[in-house]
Amino acid sequence: MLQQLANGVFAGSIYALFAIGFTLVFGVLRHLNLAHPAVFTAGAFVGIEVAARTAIPVWILFPVVALFGALAGVLVERIAFRPLRGRDDEHFAGLISSVALGGVVIALLQARYGTEPKSFATDYFPSRLFEFAGIRVTSTQLVTLALALVLMLGLAWLVSATPLGRSMRAVAENPTAAKVLGVNVGRVTAGTYALSSALGTVAGALLALNLGQAGRDLGASIELVGFAVIILGGLGSLWGAMAAGVVLGVAEAMTIHLFDSTWKSMVAFALLFAVLVIRPRGLFGHVKVREV
Amino acid sequence: MLDGYNTLITVAALGAILAYSFHVVLMAGQLSLGQAGFASLAAYTSTLVVPTEPIAGSISPVVVGLPVGALVGAAAAFVVGLPVLRLRGVFLAIATIAFGEMVRVVINNAEWTNGALGMRVEKWVTFDFAWMVVAVLAYLFWRLGPSRSGRAFAAVREDELAAGSMGVDVVRTRMASFIASGAIAGVYGVMFAYFFGRITPATFDFGLTVSGLVTAVLGGYLVFFGPILGSGFLTAVPELQNALGLEAGWIHPFVTGVFLLLVVLFLPGGLSTLFSRLRRAPMRPGPDYAPLDALDPLPDPGTPIAKVRGLAKRYGAVDAVRGVDLEIRSGEVLGVIGPNGAGKTTLVNMLNGLEPPTAGEGQILGVPLGSRPHRFAQAGVSRTFQHSKLFERLTVLDNVLVGTHVVSRSTYLRRLLWLPSARRDERRALALAWAQLERVGLADRAGLRPGALSYGDRRRLEIARALAAHPTLLILDEPAAGMNHVEAAELASLIRGLADDGVTVLFIEHNVKMVLEACTRLVVLDFGEVIAEGEPREVASDPRVVEAYLGTEAAQNDEREEIEHA
Repeated sequence: MLQQLANGVFAGSIYALFAIGFTLVFGVLRHLNLAHPAVFTAGAFVGIEVAARTAIPVWILFPVVALFGALAGVLVERIAFRPLRGRDDEHFAGLISSVALGGVVIALLQARYGTEPKSFATDYFPSRLFEFAGIRVTSTQLVTLALALVLMLGLAWLVSATPLGRSMRAVAENPTAAKVLGVNVGRVTAGTYALSSALGTVAGALLALNLGQAGRDLGASIELVGFAVIILGGLGSLWGAMAAGVVLGVAEAMTIHLFDSTWKSMVAFALLFAVLVIRPRGLFGHVKVREV
Repeated sequence: MLDGYNTLITVAALGAILAYSFHVVLMAGQLSLGQAGFASLAAYTSTLVVPTEPIAGSISPVVVGLPVGALVGAAAAFVVGLPVLRLRGVFLAIATIAFGEMVRVVINNAEWTNGALGMRVEKWVTFDFAWMVVAVLAYLFWRLGPSRSGRAFAAVREDELAAGSMGVDVVRTRMASFIASGAIAGVYGVMFAYFFGRITPATFDFGLTVSGLVTAVLGGYLVFFGPILGSGFLTAVPELQNALGLEAGWIHPFVTGVFLLLVVLFLPGGLSTLFSRLRRAPMRPGPDYAPLDALDPLPDPGTPIAKVRGLAKRYGAVDAVRGVDLEIRSGEVLGVIGPNGAGKTTLVNMLNGLEPPTAGEGQILGVPLGSRPHRFAQAGVSRTFQHSKLFERLTVLDNVLVGTHVVSRSTYLRRLLWLPSARRDERRALALAWAQLERVGLADRAGLRPGALSYGDRRRLEIARALAAHPTLLILDEPAAGMNHVEAAELASLIRGLADDGVTVLFIEHNVKMVLEACTRLVVLDFGEVIAEGEPREVASDPRVVEAYLGTEAAQNDEREEIEHA
């Protein structure tokens, strides 16, 4: 039971990490970036390749992956979203252009890495087993949890206490007003995508480290759970996404424990559906009033 | 010649059917993504209940399966729609995705569906049959476009609040598009089953939803043949690559993705943009129509048409409107003035149902306060907005045609049968719309999009749209904002002309000169309360009004001057 709970927390921290990147872009720019899962998958493959080529230790590997992610994020914004700005169908079109770009990214991954899943070398980060109070955890799980915590707290700090974060909040509140007041909206947009994708790629590499391998469907497998997390947490809410990620991870672990793994994803969607119907702003979101 | 491509072209037909189930919701501006769930329920139901052998010796099971599937899809959409249609945008999208995934997980785990292994059926769908179904769908959408219902869909897509204020029942329209989407998705599910001969829960996964959405948007959801274009394109691209000798593997999805990206980025209306540039400019109907005579007469001057007591609106701790009593009589021009934040717009929003009041009772043209906007519109309340809410992707003429919604009858079903009465009704609506465009002086711009109009023309267009509803009570929210003196003077004379025609006008305005010129009675609001009411010039010189309305010392001199000049 406790063991399941712990497993749920570890899985949930990856969900949360995936989801905060997603929700950050939505919260600041109202874009639903459907290329995020592809970028997440790319992070896993790049992590595996860099680890294999350079044998750098884990704590250097992740910053490298994040740097790649930041670049990818800037490109995603440039290619799939910026050209659509100001168009009547900006929102629908953004969904489709990001799906298309996601498809292109996955195709490029196939070009470079082939169709077979890739793995970390077994001795790259040998997993050791620890036991606390009857709960078994691996060193990979500990790294995952620690990294997720550091990144989430770092992001929260960045958004609340730095000039970039302040500009991001200003753009989220009212892009036009922010522009008039001298905020460089283009740079904030690029920065938001860079951060979001950096988080996404690190999450991807972490999941690959946990699973030992990555396939091209890695992002697709987590995409829908990611939706569930950001809605449960309240779309655009960072703390909400973090909490909801862990809640979902635990709920899934409990379902596997009590029923069967085939029912696992039912929990996420039933919970999601119920929350949307009963409390659309999410568990931690707040209401926005519409103006005439 | 097509022999070798039979299967391929049939697959394209199926893709188009799936895309139509997205098309119908996108037309109404709803991002609904539960189609995989509806298709799955329909396919499994039809597989389970329809006999596998030809019925009565000759009727193929798919012919029975299609109505079953459509019905199952529509019913499921209705049941799901009841709770989820309160949601909008991304939230609706994700709630419907959740529904689709729940269906998949349940079917995957149930025994009567044979779980993940899926079920087998005979293959009954042929090339001809598939395209016949597509042709029927295309016909249904072709006839829908320029009908009253089609315009209602478009109006809801472009702006729900404006659509409701023009008399479109937004809730019903959204539900109708949702149910239609469910039915078409159901048809797709059944077609899929009887074409491929096998269904598994994984068939109807999120990937299917994405591909349907992509096809619909790629083709373009503003024209009826969009889904066919989209599906044709997505089927042809891989095939062309084969023909060009490109290797399969990564190049295929890469090229498809790049093409898709290019279309989305450079053709805003999808592929259909390439075809719709040929559209003719709208023609004025012949002079043999005198539709204005056929409209219901307006109430006699002096008849009370609205009476509200104790009207109040509270936002959290802020009282936007407090204890307002108001009576409106037919034929008057009632001006409402007050400083910014006095509650003027909130007041009129309550009078046409856009916002429910927190307290107060009364009726406007017999419709009780707190009803939904379309009820007020149907009773004869029409309005414009402070920040213009035009239907941006419709032409100027179509904007005004939406205004005729409450004075015309539904024509869609009759249009399907080509009944002459439908044509008559549509021409009558067209004549009504033209009459209003001419009244405000925009007839020469009928074929443009509102985005191409000047600010003053946009305001005039809103007035024409509101007038097309043949209103008893016309509400104008700051109609002269942003107009120059000449335009404002023209507007004032237009308003007086309306009053002469028997239209009751309630208007909010900051241009004091214009208010005093146009209105017969004046109400002054401050901090949500009525502080003065009566004959315009008396009210304007009331010291309480001068103090409240003119605010600070500095502004006082300027505006007092303005009042004195008027």
